[in-house]
Amino acid sequence: MKNQGGDLEKTIHPLAAKYLRQERMPHMACPGCGIGQVVHSTLIACDELALTPENTVWVQGVGCSSRITYTLWKGDNIDAHHGRIFAVATGLKLSRPDLNYICFTGDGDCMSIGGNHFLHACRRNLDVTAIMFNNGIYGMTGGQVAPTTPMGAMTTTTPYGNIEDPMDSVQVAMAAGASYVARWRSTDFRQVVSSIKKGIQTKGFSFIEVLTQCPTQFGRYVLKTGDPIKILQWYKDHTVTLKKAEKMTPEELKDKMLIGEFAHRTDRTGVVERYWDMIKKIQSERA
Amino acid sequence: MLKQECSINKYFVQGDEAIAEGAIAAGCRYFAGYPITPASEISETIARRFPEVGGVAIQLEDELASIHSVGGASVAGMKAMTVSSGPGISLKLEGLGWGIKNELPYVVVDVQRAGPSNGVATRVGQGDLYTVKYGSAGGNNSIIAISPMNVQEAFDLTIDCFNLSEIFRTPVFLLTDETVGHTRELLVIPDARELKIVPRRKPTVPPSEFLMYPLNTPGTIDYPYPNIGEGYGICVSPYTHTAKGYATTSEKDHDKMATHLVRKVTDHLDRLTRVQEEMLDDAEYGIIAYGCEARPAMEAMKKARAEGIKVGFLRPIIIWPFPDEPIYRMACKVKKILVPELNRDGQLSREVQRAAKGRAEVYHLGSGGVETHQPVHVYDELMRIIKGK
Repeated sequence: MKNQGGDLEKTIHPLAAKYLRQERMPHMACPGCGIGQVVHSTLIACDELALTPENTVWVQGVGCSSRITYTLWKGDNIDAHHGRIFAVATGLKLSRPDLNYICFTGDGDCMSIGGNHFLHACRRNLDVTAIMFNNGIYGMTGGQVAPTTPMGAMTTTTPYGNIEDPMDSVQVAMAAGASYVARWRSTDFRQVVSSIKKGIQTKGFSFIEVLTQCPTQFGRYVLKTGDPIKILQWYKDHTVTLKKAEKMTPEELKDKMLIGEFAHRTDRTGVVERYWDMIKKIQSERA
Repeated sequence: MLKQECSINKYFVQGDEAIAEGAIAAGCRYFAGYPITPASEISETIARRFPEVGGVAIQLEDELASIHSVGGASVAGMKAMTVSSGPGISLKLEGLGWGIKNELPYVVVDVQRAGPSNGVATRVGQGDLYTVKYGSAGGNNSIIAISPMNVQEAFDLTIDCFNLSEIFRTPVFLLTDETVGHTRELLVIPDARELKIVPRRKPTVPPSEFLMYPLNTPGTIDYPYPNIGEGYGICVSPYTHTAKGYATTSEKDHDKMATHLVRKVTDHLDRLTRVQEEMLDDAEYGIIAYGCEARPAMEAMKKARAEGIKVGFLRPIIIWPFPDEPIYRMACKVKKILVPELNRDGQLSREVQRAAKGRAEVYHLGSGGVETHQPVHVYDELMRIIKGK
């Protein structure tokens, strides 16, 4: 459908009109991709917290997570090299602690090439909100195996099946010290909105993993279907809420990904707050 | 503050400490680093000094994090710096392309040590001349590099690095070495009012009229850099960009960006040519050296002059872009040029040979590093080439 002039104003979603650059629409997501749903949830969270393009920066890495969200936001868009999103965000937040930072990363960007920066962003409790789209595969580059790909899965670089166990990013984030940690599916719309809001409001590092369906690569190579409904069904069959999991045996939990809110700590400050407190203290002592 | 010696504004310090003080004087208020010999003294001095002046100094998880966070800090409005050496510089190069492409003003200090790989970590080398120029994959770069030969220059030229990074909107290298970094000698820090400091230039037009990248007028310098949180909706990414910062795959757009990045240096060689020339007027033979090798080279020249041999000397101070023109002029005057340097592959001598365009014979005096050449080594080699043996 071709949008022309004034018609665009009428057809565009009010939140997209409020927050997104209309000249960058439509965005790059493939049909059936889950990233658009999460961007929608993010905009609702921004709106409910009354964030503005002036006081909020979108930060990206590399991959579907980032290429789709880059230059959509009406405010500042800072897109880092592959994996370096939290390194760049460290410089941004330490320099301008007054601004909000929403970081869009992917499972490869965050857990693989950026793994070290992710660990230390959690450890330092860097005060940004990280949303990790986990599609279980390298989508942008054509369906290669990722550190989140299920064991046994066929991908373009594991033609005989993946022999490695996937990494649980939520456990990593908690062990490394992130203040807020949650995992949802793209279809858990209300929960994703609520977690992003909590993430923005929580001091310290907030990590929200969203399992996003990828019909083009994960569907095609791993599940052998391009049908988003079937892929969503697969996620439904392979996820279980934290509450339900309490009553399940390890055998029943095999091959299941837990969803829910894993950590919400308010007892721990972060590097940004501590650094500027230290400077104030040193300068007042010297004055 | 540093411990003062003799009188006010005079200090007996290492080159590394002078670099840290130069950064503070230049207005640098963000530093991120990772421990590495022989650059750690810069990080240590800055860690102590920055909180006193209200700056951010942080040690990050690795070299990649430090250079990328420096890029982030630059986008956020800070004058920023990172430092490293040898294998750390190899890692830093990954982030450098992001800085070059997004025209980020920041400074990288390379305190060169003997390589390849870890090499001799605590000892001097000069193996990174090409690394800093060509190390960032993809080419189309606009690197500027400046090289000090003593502690005073380590301070002065660090300030110049920051100034040039703002004027040219590009990462600038201070290409120094372990000998200069660890030499302890007198440093005079002038009164702040005597220093020329270039501030971050801000747009004077509203966001709707401002283009982030001056791609329609390639080679433009002195161009404003709005930062985040200033309402300009800036777009910074690893992708080839349009003037607004939007990702593009068009050949025409890509060529525009590449042309601008290269021409903003090559169109302004008048502002980027800086050499030290000694006794070239009547010279029949010449020596060219940079950094720590300049001092033994000048001693050798003096000894030869004392014996009536007409030897001149040239030192590139801004070493990238390479001072082709002054070296060509020198090559037209002298018969033979000796190039002492601390690598065996002949990096500086290769550049000199290129710039000389065959007008003089160019001789490489190499060493793997660890020790600088002694004046007598340079003198003996000079005598050997003069005699044609």
